[in-house]
Amino acid sequence: MPLLEVENLEVRYRTQAGEAKAVDGVSFVIEPGMCLGLVGESGCGKSTVAKAILGILPPAGHIAGGAIRYAGRDLGGMTPRELRAMRWRDIALVPQSAMNALDPVYTVESQLAEAIAAHQAMPAARRRGRIAELFELVGLEPDRARDYPHQFSGGMRQRAMIAMAMVLDPGLIVADEPTTGLDVLVQDQILRRIRDLHDRLGKAMLLITHDMAVVAENSDRIVVMYAGRVMEYGGEAVFRTPYHPYTLGLCNAFPDLAYRARALISIPGTPPNLVAPPEGCRFQARCPFATARCGTPPPLIEVAPGHVVACHHVDQAERFRERAADPETWREPAR
Amino acid sequence: MRGFRVILDYPSGTAGAIVVVVFSLLAVFGPAIAPHGPFEVVYNTDHSVLRLSPPVANALFGTTNQGMDVFSQLLWGTRSALLVGLLSAVGSVVLGTAVGLASGYFGGWTDEVLMRLTDVAFGIPFLPFAMVVISLSKPSLGLVILLVVVFLWRIPARVIRAQVLSLRSRPFIWAARAAGASHARILARHIAPNVLPLSFLYAAIGVQTGVMLEAALSFLGFGDPNAMSWGAMLNAAFQAGAMRSAWWWVLPPGVALSLFVTAIFMITRAYEELLNPRLRAI
Amino acid sequence: MSRLAHAFSRRLLLLALTMWCILTILFALFRLLPGDPAAIFVDNNMSIEMIEHQKQLWGLNDPWWVQYIRYIANMALFRFGDSFFQNQTVAAILLEKITNTCAMIFPALVISVVLGTIIGAFAGWRRGGRLEQATVTTALILHSAPSFFVGILVLMVFSYQLRWLPPGGMTSPGGPEGFWDLITSADYLRHLILPCMVLVSREITGPVLLVRSSMLEIKGADFIDILRAKGLPEWRILVHATRNALLPLVTYIAVMTGLLLQGQVLLEIIFAWPGLGRELVTALADLDYQVAQGAVYVMALTILLLNLVADMLYGFIDPRSR
Ligand SMILES: Nc1ncnc2c1ncn2[C@@H]1O[C@H](COP(=O)(O)OP(=O)(O)OP(=O)(O)O)[C@@H](O)[C@H]1O
Ligand code: SF4
Ligand SMILES: [Mg+2]
Repeated sequence: MPLLEVENLEVRYRTQAGEAKAVDGVSFVIEPGMCLGLVGESGCGKSTVAKAILGILPPAGHIAGGAIRYAGRDLGGMTPRELRAMRWRDIALVPQSAMNALDPVYTVESQLAEAIAAHQAMPAARRRGRIAELFELVGLEPDRARDYPHQFSGGMRQRAMIAMAMVLDPGLIVADEPTTGLDVLVQDQILRRIRDLHDRLGKAMLLITHDMAVVAENSDRIVVMYAGRVMEYGGEAVFRTPYHPYTLGLCNAFPDLAYRARALISIPGTPPNLVAPPEGCRFQARCPFATARCGTPPPLIEVAPGHVVACHHVDQAERFRERAADPETWREPAR
Repeated sequence: MRGFRVILDYPSGTAGAIVVVVFSLLAVFGPAIAPHGPFEVVYNTDHSVLRLSPPVANALFGTTNQGMDVFSQLLWGTRSALLVGLLSAVGSVVLGTAVGLASGYFGGWTDEVLMRLTDVAFGIPFLPFAMVVISLSKPSLGLVILLVVVFLWRIPARVIRAQVLSLRSRPFIWAARAAGASHARILARHIAPNVLPLSFLYAAIGVQTGVMLEAALSFLGFGDPNAMSWGAMLNAAFQAGAMRSAWWWVLPPGVALSLFVTAIFMITRAYEELLNPRLRAI
Repeated sequence: MSRLAHAFSRRLLLLALTMWCILTILFALFRLLPGDPAAIFVDNNMSIEMIEHQKQLWGLNDPWWVQYIRYIANMALFRFGDSFFQNQTVAAILLEKITNTCAMIFPALVISVVLGTIIGAFAGWRRGGRLEQATVTTALILHSAPSFFVGILVLMVFSYQLRWLPPGGMTSPGGPEGFWDLITSADYLRHLILPCMVLVSREITGPVLLVRSSMLEIKGADFIDILRAKGLPEWRILVHATRNALLPLVTYIAVMTGLLLQGQVLLEIIFAWPGLGRELVTALADLDYQVAQGAVYVMALTILLLNLVADMLYGFIDPRSR
């Protein structure tokens, strides 16, 4: 049985302009021990997926459709009590901004201890032992546990959050851009920690990032999201032989991935308005290969076993890949 | 001014503005329409004094224990209240703005001295001090206004200093300096226009506080004995034990005071939201 | 810790400066009085020995600067001399009165802070409801209403019309003696209810609005999401949020105490409460200047000390400022 199934998830935010469809029919599956990478540009709805899974959508947001199942149980059908019991014990989070993820007026240790206490009876001494052990694991000095969050650097806080996510030995860890706001060196260390947890402890993981390279290095399967929708979903092939023009664009931004030594090419334009998204393919306004057909919703096409793409023109993928390597292709469209 | 129109965008702001306008008209024309003087005794047709009478035709709001007309006193009192409020607001805001500008703009020693002075001013309890000063000299409206100014300037001074500090670091000030503008020119052209809305806000708050403090002092018996005011009316009513029997004597000044103060408060709230939408939460 | 120590010494210095300014103003005020300055310290119905004692205490035969130094020293050491009319030292009178004042302020302060925090926390937590709007509006209107008129109204309704509660004073005649017996007696409570109610209705606004707005801010903070994701019960999350929201409140309590102590003068008059404020008004009316200057001094000092304490408390509560 899969560990986590997300099926046709729809999340909307109430805004002044109307309902924003931040996540619109997203599906994927995480098997035990697997790391799934979720990539996409800023604002495409990655954190919204994470928040929906953890049940911490802000008051303006709500799940408008679809299902999230953990070990076969639908989270939507659970009582608040059942839900609370499974939180953090089954699914834990390493949030996007560890900077503000810790309560400033409590010590780091007490915030880890609180997570334990909420789920299991454990004597204080053993709790402390467990926390020290985890601090060791993520590369923090155990005596620093009694410090307050402001006494930690950004990297230390992120490590503390990783320790906190591990504290109940959850089945699944959701890591939402765990390295934003950190300097490059620390980013690397944190990512290595996370990979370690995954490799050594066999933790299942949902790794969210906008960085194709991070996903390529760490993930078993990859979901590429754009404007609330899944564009491409599959294994390594997603970055080795991408089919979708958007994935091609994302890979371009990290040239050493597929093709070496080329100037960084970024996708021109901005994501569409989510309150009134365009009919048809959401990427059409920025897609260099768009045709008249793209005005209708593209079908999900299985291009290889376990590799699906939402594009009308998957048959031309070979040509797209060649042209995508040419910076001219990504010039601001004339129209 | 743009600010005034925005106040009217809020229903509470509009209500407040209407109340304030009505009171202002009463302050100007009230004494002219008042049927009696503030200390004038009302007589019955048989030439006896109309004492502690509930509202009747020749004393709309009734009379006091000395036979004075509550309605007329209220009108005269409105004038003193608003006079004190207006003058002390203007005085305190001019003083406070000057201190805040100087302190924030010149910084250094000027700032240090002025701000310590402000700190000290914040440590002085108003009512006890004002009472001592008044009882040691001759009570008068002018003295009350002076005291309120001395008490009030500190708040705009601090706020405006903070505002000037944040303005001073903006690029357009640097640019003006680099272009050789004088201090006076920068203060007048670049800083003052950005500080004025705050000054206006504190002027409104100053009117409110001034009216309130004058009423409090008069109620305690430290007001100008020759000027009728809402506080003085309440004082007389309280001393005479009117709360037991003569509600018509107690309610008009109290209600007028509450109404006026609340109205100004509504205006300042609306204005504050205009100045800083984040304040909405407060 | 050293940052705290630094802040503390700075605040202490400022307090001393402020006190010195206040004393200088008081000294000048009483001397600028038209007529014989000695009249402040000497009264006609004093005995010869008392007059002698007074002259010595304040150095009335010395030059003005010696008097000034003596004045500051005396006040700093709480040597206020004797009352002209009451057969007691001023210090003893003030001590008694300030105790009475605290007996009214303290309960009001505690109720305002505790109740205000609870109301504010809930209002902020459940934002947008009709109840929340009503809470805020009521709080604001209560706050801007002049408390002495509210006091008079309350008195009119509850004491004179309904006759539920006594119209003033701290005790009924023949009530319990001694501080502890007094403040634990039902009679005292009955006298306390009205003034306390008026004070709370006014002062509760600060905590309600302050806690509400910081609650609104905190509610959107990332760490609240994490607490929720951790599976903590709602009330635990509310505790976290409230602890954070309390930080600004601590400083506000200082402001509030100052406001209470000043607004107190009016309420003590209305409710005939034998406290410091009422003593000041009486002393000024009786031209008992020794008591009056002592009362002003004690009020100012209390307010300043309370502010200092609250500022320091903030340092301890917020780990970031340590
Ligand atoms: N509380 C909210 N109210 C309204 N709209 C929101 C809210 N939170 C997010 N959104 C909108 O939903 C969309 C998806 O946001 P989300 O935070 O999930 O993006 P993201 O992919 O995580 O981006 P990033 O890489 O910047 O973290 C965005 O367009 C954003 O504007
Ligand atoms: S469907 Fe059309 S617009 Fe969308 S990605 Fe494919 S080619 Fe581009
Ligand atoms: Mg995000």
